[in-house]
Amino acid sequence: MKRVVITLLVIIFCCSYCNSYSQLYFTKNGRISFFSKTSLEDISASNNQVLSVINMQTGAIQFSLLNNAFYFPKAKMQDDFNDNYIESNKYPKSTFTGTITDIGTINLNNDGNYQVHINGDLTIHGITKNITAPGTINIKSGNISAAASFKVLLTDYNIKVPTIVTNKIAKEIEVTVSCNYEKK
Amino acid sequence: MRKEGRNILFIFIGVALCAFVIGFGIWNKPHSDVKDADAVETNAISLYNSFTSDSAKAKSVFLDKIIKVSGVVEKVLVNQQQQQIILLKTSVSGASVNCTMEQNRNKIKQGDKVVLKGICSGYINGDTEMGIPGDVFLIRCYPSI
Repeated sequence: MKRVVITLLVIIFCCSYCNSYSQLYFTKNGRISFFSKTSLEDISASNNQVLSVINMQTGAIQFSLLNNAFYFPKAKMQDDFNDNYIESNKYPKSTFTGTITDIGTINLNNDGNYQVHINGDLTIHGITKNITAPGTINIKSGNISAAASFKVLLTDYNIKVPTIVTNKIAKEIEVTVSCNYEKK
Repeated sequence: MRKEGRNILFIFIGVALCAFVIGFGIWNKPHSDVKDADAVETNAISLYNSFTSDSAKAKSVFLDKIIKVSGVVEKVLVNQQQQQIILLKTSVSGASVNCTMEQNRNKIKQGDKVVLKGICSGYINGDTEMGIPGDVFLIRCYPSI
């Protein structure tokens, strides 16, 4: 009897473990871009090598990117971003680890756009802040894509803007996230 | 006196013009020419292994450098910007040298042996607990002839 109970418990554990894994979706080529309107010149950049993992069962979500993989239309902007603002040598990665708080509202078997909220820790320039942002999860024939947009205040992450251009560069930038996931 | 003042004005205008031209040149300097630049040569397996075994050394040799990497194509994808992504095989299952192409080359397919040239942006560790290994990333890639 004891052996049967133990066997059943092992089976239940294995099933829940496998089920949890079967709900994993990932991408290594997601996109994060940012935009800032300034009186000098609009600043925009994009990074198409974002690693992201979603667990559709628990709602756990993470993003990770290399700061030096942001591409700017102008090489000088890119150099300034890496050398003076984000300091890519010192802080090579930016990350987000959090949860889709309303993951329970998403039905993987029902195609459509689901409005969700994402809460978690955003780490940029070596500083971690808790943020909450609205997002959209799109389900189409079992494929998942996610999109979100939020604003980041440069001073929150100790990103210093040279005094000579302080008044000409926006104090916050708009970050846009867009990922198409594949099943693990 | 009047002539002297005019000379100073011309010098001032000349210096200002030079400063503007230099500043404009710096602000609008083009991105580095990956296609025709000299490159550090390696192959996908040793590039990946060097980042996973000795990250500090790998960074000093490859990070932000133009590298020429040979390898076997594991998969060809297209990202949201319709840029071609070529994944080169490594010794770790599910891990690749992840190359974003500057120009799409439709002829490249799974199993091909290729040599690509691009800028190495580094390594992102995946999630080992979830069985997702990291990749080494290259941007602005071109096939090397």
